[in-house]
Order: sequence, then C-alpha cells, then structure tokens
Amino acid sequence: MAAVQVSEAEKVYIIHGVRDDLRLDGRGCEDYRHMEIETDVVSNTDGSAKISLGHTDVLVGVKAEIGKPKAMVPDEGYLEFFVDCSANATPEFEGRGGEELGVELSNTLCKVFNNRHSVDLRSLCICPGENCWVLYVDVLLLQCDGNLFDAISIAIKAALFNTRIPKVHISEDEEGVKEIELSDDPYDCMRLNVENVPCIVTLCKIGHRHVVDATLQEKACSVASLLISVTHRGTVTCVRKMGGGSLDPESIFEMTEAGKRVGKALHVPLMELLQKEESLGKKRQKVGFLG
Amino acid sequence: MLKSKTFVKKTRAGGVLKIVREHYLRDDICCGSEVCKERKDEAPVLQEDACIESNLCSYPHYLIPDTNVVLHQIDILEDPLIRNVIILQTVLQEVRHRSAPAYKRIKDAIHEKEKHFYTFTNEHHRETFIEREPGESANDRNDRAIRVAAKWYADHLAKKTNGGSLKVVLLTDDRANKEKAEQYGLIVYRCEEYIKSLIGNPELVDRLALQPDDQNEITDSKLLFPEHLPLSRIQSGIKNGVLLQGTFHANRDNYLEGTVFINREGEDINEVLLQGLQNLNRAVHQDVVAVELFPKERWVAPSSVVLQDDSPNDEDAEEDETENKLCSCRTHYSNNVLYPTGRVVGIIKRNWRPYCGMLSQSMIKEVTGFNYKVNKVFFLHKKQTNIYIHVKKLRHPIKFHGVLYQDFNAYNLLLIFSQRIDMVPELLSSNLCSLRSNVERLAFSCIWEMNHNAEIIKTHFTKSVINSKASLTYAEAQMRIDDTTMNDDITKSLRGLNRLAKILKGRRTEKGALTLSSPEVRFHMDSETHDPIDLQTKELKETNSMVEEFMLLANISVAQKIYDEFSECALLRKHPSPPPSNYDILIKAAKSRLDSAKALADSLNNATVENFPYFNTLLRILATRCMMQAVYFCSGMDSDFHHYGLASPIYTHFTSPIRRYADIIVHRLLAVAINADSTYPELMDKHKQSSLCNNLNYRHKMAQYAQRASVAFHTQLFFKNKGIINEEGFILFVRKNAIIILIPKFGMEGAVFFDNKDKPSPRLIFDSEGPTLKVEQHTFRMFDKVKVTISLDASNIQHQRIRMALIEPVIPGVSVPVPESEPEAKKPKLDC
Repeated sequence: MAAVQVSEAEKVYIIHGVRDDLRLDGRGCEDYRHMEIETDVVSNTDGSAKISLGHTDVLVGVKAEIGKPKAMVPDEGYLEFFVDCSANATPEFEGRGGEELGVELSNTLCKVFNNRHSVDLRSLCICPGENCWVLYVDVLLLQCDGNLFDAISIAIKAALFNTRIPKVHISEDEEGVKEIELSDDPYDCMRLNVENVPCIVTLCKIGHRHVVDATLQEKACSVASLLISVTHRGTVTCVRKMGGGSLDPESIFEMTEAGKRVGKALHVPLMELLQKEESLGKKRQKVGFLG
Repeated sequence: MLKSKTFVKKTRAGGVLKIVREHYLRDDICCGSEVCKERKDEAPVLQEDACIESNLCSYPHYLIPDTNVVLHQIDILEDPLIRNVIILQTVLQEVRHRSAPAYKRIKDAIHEKEKHFYTFTNEHHRETFIEREPGESANDRNDRAIRVAAKWYADHLAKKTNGGSLKVVLLTDDRANKEKAEQYGLIVYRCEEYIKSLIGNPELVDRLALQPDDQNEITDSKLLFPEHLPLSRIQSGIKNGVLLQGTFHANRDNYLEGTVFINREGEDINEVLLQGLQNLNRAVHQDVVAVELFPKERWVAPSSVVLQDDSPNDEDAEEDETENKLCSCRTHYSNNVLYPTGRVVGIIKRNWRPYCGMLSQSMIKEVTGFNYKVNKVFFLHKKQTNIYIHVKKLRHPIKFHGVLYQDFNAYNLLLIFSQRIDMVPELLSSNLCSLRSNVERLAFSCIWEMNHNAEIIKTHFTKSVINSKASLTYAEAQMRIDDTTMNDDITKSLRGLNRLAKILKGRRTEKGALTLSSPEVRFHMDSETHDPIDLQTKELKETNSMVEEFMLLANISVAQKIYDEFSECALLRKHPSPPPSNYDILIKAAKSRLDSAKALADSLNNATVENFPYFNTLLRILATRCMMQAVYFCSGMDSDFHHYGLASPIYTHFTSPIRRYADIIVHRLLAVAINADSTYPELMDKHKQSSLCNNLNYRHKMAQYAQRASVAFHTQLFFKNKGIINEEGFILFVRKNAIIILIPKFGMEGAVFFDNKDKPSPRLIFDSEGPTLKVEQHTFRMFDKVKVTISLDASNIQHQRIRMALIEPVIPGVSVPVPESEPEAKKPKLDC
C-alpha cells in the first residue's frame, strides 16, 4: 500500500494527538473524513457508484451477466470482484505494482460480500442449476489516501443499490429446451436488496487507542489494524487483522465494539443519501468526474 | 446536446448485453417546408401550396402517416395524387424494421421529386426527441414520438405562416393513438376516412387496403393448423431422432393423405403415412419436411377404418365430411401390414413452384395450398393411322448430339385425347419415320427366319432401307385377311403373318402370358367444338394382336441381343410378380387359386359364368388391378429380369422410338451391338443409365395419371351434355360405406355412397370376408348387377363430378326413383 514517510517527531505528535482524541485534521477518533457519493456514474454498467473519502477516490461498477451457478449452490448466483489499482492513484501501482494489493483487496471483498447473508444470492438465480446472474464488481482505485477498505465497501454498497438487472423469464418448449427471454422494456428490471450488505470499518491501533478512517500518516504510525464488516443492525460478519504488529485480546474486544458502533452509525446516513439521490430521478444534475 | 440511448440485448451466446449509444440532438434540422425561410442548405421539399380537394380538409395541409399507415396503405401513398407527405424518422425506422419491401417502396417514393415526400429526422431534433418512459412499450413510445413531431410541425407552421392556413394532418388507423392525438390538439383522421373525403378521386378508394378492425383482429383468427416448428428445433429434433426428415409425396388420389419417404441410411422406417389435413400441415408435394411419428397404437391397421376408395370419387367426400371425419379417412391397403403414421411438424425446404387455381366465393372455407401434383407430361397411345405390315422393325435411329440430346432426356410425348404433342419434330414422327407405301425409308430392322411352326431359326438386326408395299389401318388389314376373294401378294403375306402370330401367341399364352383387361374407352369428338359426342370401348381386332405379337417378339429379340452384348448397361423392362397378398381381393371375388401367371391365365380363361358374359372381363379388370407396375431398369443394377405379364425372361422396348425415349436408347445400344454406330460414355455408364430409367418410370407414371385425368375430364364433359342417364353396371368393389360400380358401356367407375350427411344412414353391415355389404335388407356382393343413374354434379364449380345413384335394386330410403330419361339416352346395351 501506498506509504508516506513520517518522521519520528511527527509520529509522536500524531500518537499524542490520538491519545487526546484529536487528530491531525481535527477529527475525533471515531470520525470519518468528508465523504461524497454519487451513483449511476458509468452508463454502460448495470450499477455504479463513485465515492471520495478525503482524498481517496474509488469508482465501482457492477455488471450483470448470465452465467452458470456453482455446483455446490445451484440455486444461487454469485459475485466476482476485481480491483484495479490504477497508476493514477499512486505511482507505485505502475506496471504490475498494484497487482498484489488488488488481489488482496478483491479476496477480502469476496469474503465480505459474496455470501447469502450479505446479498440475497437466491434472487440472482434464473434457472436452478442452469443459469444465474453473475455480478462482476469492478473496483477502480482512482486515488489513494488511506482507508481503502471502508471507501470501497461503501462504494460497493451504493453501486449494488444502484444496480438494475434486466428482467428475464425462462420459456420452455415441449422438448424442455429452455430459452431466456429478455424484457423489451428497459425500465423493467430487478433491484437488489442491499439492506444486509455490510460496510467495512477499519480500525487502526495507534498508541493505546484506535482510530477509524486513518489517513496515510496515521497509518504509518499504526502497527496493526482490525478490519470489521458490520451490517446495519450492528452484526459483525467478518473480522480480519492486518499489519505486522500484535493486538492484545482486550483491545480487540474494544475495537470490535467501536467498529460496531461506528458501522451502525455509518449505514443510516448512507441509505438516506442513496434514497434521496434515487428520488431525484432524472432531474439530478450529474457531477461525474469533473465535479 | 448529448443524450444516451440505453437498451439491453441478448447476444448469440446467450448472454445479456447492455448497450449504450450516444444520441446527439440538434437544433438546426430543417422542417423542409417552403414557408420556413430559415436555413436553406437544400431546396425545400414540401410545397407551400399543398392543396388537395377534400371534404375534411379544405385548407392546404401536409400529411403525416403513422407506421401502420405506411405499412398497410403503401399503395395509397404511392399514388401520384398523394403529395406533400412528411415521413418521420421514427416511422421510417419502424417500417424498415418490420417490412423490407414496404421500406423500399417508401424510400422510392421519398426519392421521387414530384411526390414532395420529406423525411423529418425527428429523433435527432431537439424539440421532438422523446425518451421512453417507465412502463411505456416501444410502440407507445413511437406513437408518442409521432404525435410530438406532428404537434411540433403544427406549431412550427403556424408560427412561420403567422397563423396561416397551412396545417398538418396526422393519419393513423390506431384508435388509441387517434384519441390521444385529438386530446393533444392535432388534426387526425383515419386513413380510410381521409381518402374517402378526397373529392374527384374515387379511384383511390379502391387502392385502400382493407383494415380489419383492430379489436376483431385477434379474436377472429383461429389456428387452422399446428404451427410449424422453428428450424433450430427441427434440426435438433432430427439429430436426436425425435423427428424424421423426408420428402413429402402427396397422394394424388386422396388429397387428405400423403407419404413421406425417409431418405436416411440405417432407418428402419422409410415411409411414413400422413393422414388428414392437420397432419399434412400445409406440406406441398415434394417439400422436404420434418415428421414426427405417432406411437404404434396409431399406426394404421386398414381393417379397422372407414375405407375411402382410392379412385377419384373420394373427392365426393371432400366437402361432405366434417373436418374430424376427414382425418379418419383411409385409403385402402390390400395387406394387413401396419403403416407408420405421423404428422408434419415443419417444412425444411419448400418445393416452390407456380400454382394455378381459381377463387370461388367461400365454397372452400380455407384455401391452404394445393396438394395435388400438377401433371403435365403425357405419354401417347399409338395413333391408329399407321400400321406396319413389315414385321421387320423399322426406323432410322434418331440420333441427337450436344444440346439437343440433353433436351431429350425425358419423355415429352403428350396426348390428351385427339390432340397429341410429339416427342420428336413432326416431320420425323409422321413422315420420315413412318413407313409409307411406295416410299423409301431408312429403318432399323429385326429380321427373323422362321419355320412354319414359327420357331426362330435365325435373328438378324440391321439398318435398312424399306420400300413399303402398302400402308394399311388395322381395320383395312383385317378386311383383307377376312375377305377370301382377295388373293394378292400383300393379302397372302398378311395371312401368313397372321398364322405365325397366332402360333406365337399360343405359345406365349402357354407359358403363362396374361391377357388382362381394362375398360378402354374412346371418345368420339365433335370436330368443331371438341366436345365428346359419344364414347365407346376400344375394340381389338385380330390384326392388332398380330402386330402386337411381332412387336413383342422384336422387343424380346432385341432385349436378348443388347443384354448379351452389354450385360452391364442394357436398358430392359421388367414386370415383377405381384406379391400373393395382392390377389386377396381377386381370390375373394372369384375364389380362384393362383400361384403363377400361368395358373392365373388359365383360371382366367376358364372363369366364365353362364348368362354372364361380362364376368370374365370383370375378373380380368380385377386381375389387372393386382398387378405390379412394369418398370424400366438397367441390367447392371438388377438381377431379376422377368416380365410377369408377358411371361418372358427378358424384355425391352424397341419398337416405338418416335414416342418413347427408352426405345431410342435401346436403338443406340443395338446399333453399337451390330457395329453400325459408335458408343458414347453416358450410354455405357450403368449409374447414368439407371437414373435415366428412374426418370422414365417416373414420367411414365405421371403420363398415366394425366391420361386418367384426361379421361375423367372428358367423361364429365360427355355427361354434362347428356344430362341424366340410367345405366346398368356391375359392382366392382364393396366398401364399408359404398359400392364401386363399373359401367361397362362407358368404361367408367363410380361409387354409390350409402352414408349421406343429410339423411340418416341406412343400416350397413359390412363383412370383409365376402366382401359383402348389407344395406337394410339387401346384400351387395361383388359383380352384382345394379342399375344406376348417372349425372354430372356441377354444384361446386371447382369440383364437378359424376354422381351415381342407385335405382335397382330398390332399397327404400337409399335408391332413387327412375328419373325421366331423356329421349336420346339409349337403353343400356352391353357388348362384351
């Protein structure tokens, strides 16, 4: 991951700040930076969202394609993730530099989102054992300024909310040859239920405390961080420890509790925002990438 | 301004693709009218003074037709009278999508300068472009686009002419669209309404396409036939063996029936019988179709079904029967083998061909295509004028090379009654190739040296020049033989030949040659009108038999010769022995025992009944029906050469090269055999020879059909003139619901049906063993003598037919009273 050089003095300054619940940019330990979300930004996807969190910019597109369900779960569709670390985000990603990070991110995202508790995978089934919808979730990192997981997860939730899958119905002739027929009306489409889609909250252990939404500098001061995915009800669906340092059980407990609290609080304004944007319909002035 | 158009599409691989197109809107699109002075890059198309006299629109106006009007009333739009029409891009695109011919026609109209048709690209005009709304179908969206564009035009023109009189008129036949347009404040008419309002141009109304009321449209259409399957389904069906592919052959006697010949290797079933219009499912003769087999239970067991005779009278049943009953009609099969049945599920390749027909008003409810084959090629019976007193047979071989030769690869001798169409040019056929008295002619001769017992000592074939001493008709020759006073050379040689012929015939009969009978009928034609005046059965004289005998001998000799010379590629003719089951009906009729042709011939000769001279003829007619068809074949492709009817081990056709193509081939072979000519590759290729034989057999069969049809036609003409005739006849066959009656005098057959649709059917008891049919109290047996009345039923102009009704025996409720016979109708007289 992109790293910044932080001097010892700076580190001490940051750690001391965090201890007093005051961070470099004036936030408290459990505060997020300013966040902007826009959905339906890429017209040739089935659902898309762009998020900027501080200086972190992430674009997520969802494409629905018809595929074959996995043999273990014939009546479910599935999601596939691909994270593209653009060299725009940081020069380190140039060439194959971002590949490792991309794979790591997409594996984590797959664990968090591709299960029936997060997304109603059954609604993606077209014909059990034969056809299902496969949602290809493409994540494009436009700019990295820390806390990628949180930004990506929020963008994915927004993009899934925005996703419209064309309605199909299966017609079967006497011989049992099934044919997929598309609805002729472009407005006739299926929406996903994103109620249970979790958001990831990453908590960084700095000194004896932990912060959410760490910037790159703060990150440099942290030895270990905990990634917690939380649903709107506060249910933790996934926890993952990252970084080289160690965490004592007590602080893990504390961090989980904080993560739940922050995550729960994050869902409410996000959904409100998405609903509001949706209600604007076509009148909404699109911002896009130049805004 | 940029908009994007989004739609989802299914890809060929089965995926779903979302396609997004950029769509640019402009504000500089010209309205195309002369009144609009803005921007004149191109000359305006629409005239300022767009006047057409109309009751509805007295003001100058432009027309805007909607898609359906363009599609259905293109005839109107093409009329030079209709000018100043705005074709919207929406309309044009829809037309293009739905009908390529209509699109081409409207495009042509647009290009025509005098028509003043203007294409307005409303989809790219900033003010007329609309986006599809949620819940709106594509059609509704297009209709709305048309209304919006029309409205824009109306406003635009009003503005440009400062509220002047120039208007736009929207034409639509869609009721909902019309209502919405009216609410929207547009001038809108139905196409019909508008056209009818045009003063002084009533002819335009004739060009209006009939518009079905859009609400009745769906309810009215009943599914007449099961839908054909899509090609992909057919292909997969054939692949996995559910369906069979084959060539459909309509049964030419029964339009409700056909056969599909499965032309696939290793298939147990090679023939599928189709019965009933539903199962034929619009297949036309020679189409390549896909058929689905019925389960074995539905395969036809002929004994259990209504037998519909396979002679032309089953047309009788055509309209009389209800649809359901039609499906159960079966042709008579003489053995008890179950035939696989099935139904046509799709047509793989249509056999497109021109049809001719006539339309009569609602006589036939649904015209679906003609199942009958149209047979045109015919095969001639010899004209009686030339006979050959020379036994030697004859003719300079006709030889064609190059292109001309190709054309002759089929029969084309056509004769329908007194008219004939020759296979070879007339100069050849009736002059150069005919032996005339005292004229030298080139010939191909077969010369036998015989002793007095007509045993052949030596046979010799040669090309020759013949100077015939006399040219006689059969009758003249017969007279000379019979007239004891004549003792000139010709008569003497005739008598000599006749004696030899009798010996030959005796010997042939000894071997088991059959003399079969068919009621041959000849019409006397009115020379002016070509209407048949009278008909008579053909009479055979001794001289006929004499000439026939020597011809047979020539054919046999030649057959032997060419086979000896070319064992692989000789063109021969065979007549297979009929399978014993074919005789069932005859045995039942005569209880005669038959195992060989000889036995058959003998028993036929012996089968006479006191006081019933016609009995023997009847038996022979029946026997003929049992026979197989004689066919040409190539000696290299077959092993059985036997000619059953003539009881000859080998046979060919040699004697009539001017009217049979087979004879020409045989001539060529013989010429090569005697070193009189050189050969050519096709002649020696047994596969080509074999396919030629197949073609000959096919043509021959078609010719026979045509001949029968011609006889039937002239029989009808004859009875048309005669009115109602009472005649005696014999029962030829007994069927479940009818008896087939042969009228010896006219040589015709007809059926008397006992089940009638308007009357309750009489009690019918059918015994297939007899076979007998008991109608009320009377039992009909085969060969019973009955009296019938014959008339022409012209109630249906398309299916005129001879109708027979029973007079005697009198069965109450079945037979008809003796009608007033017309004076000229002679009393039945049987000459057997």
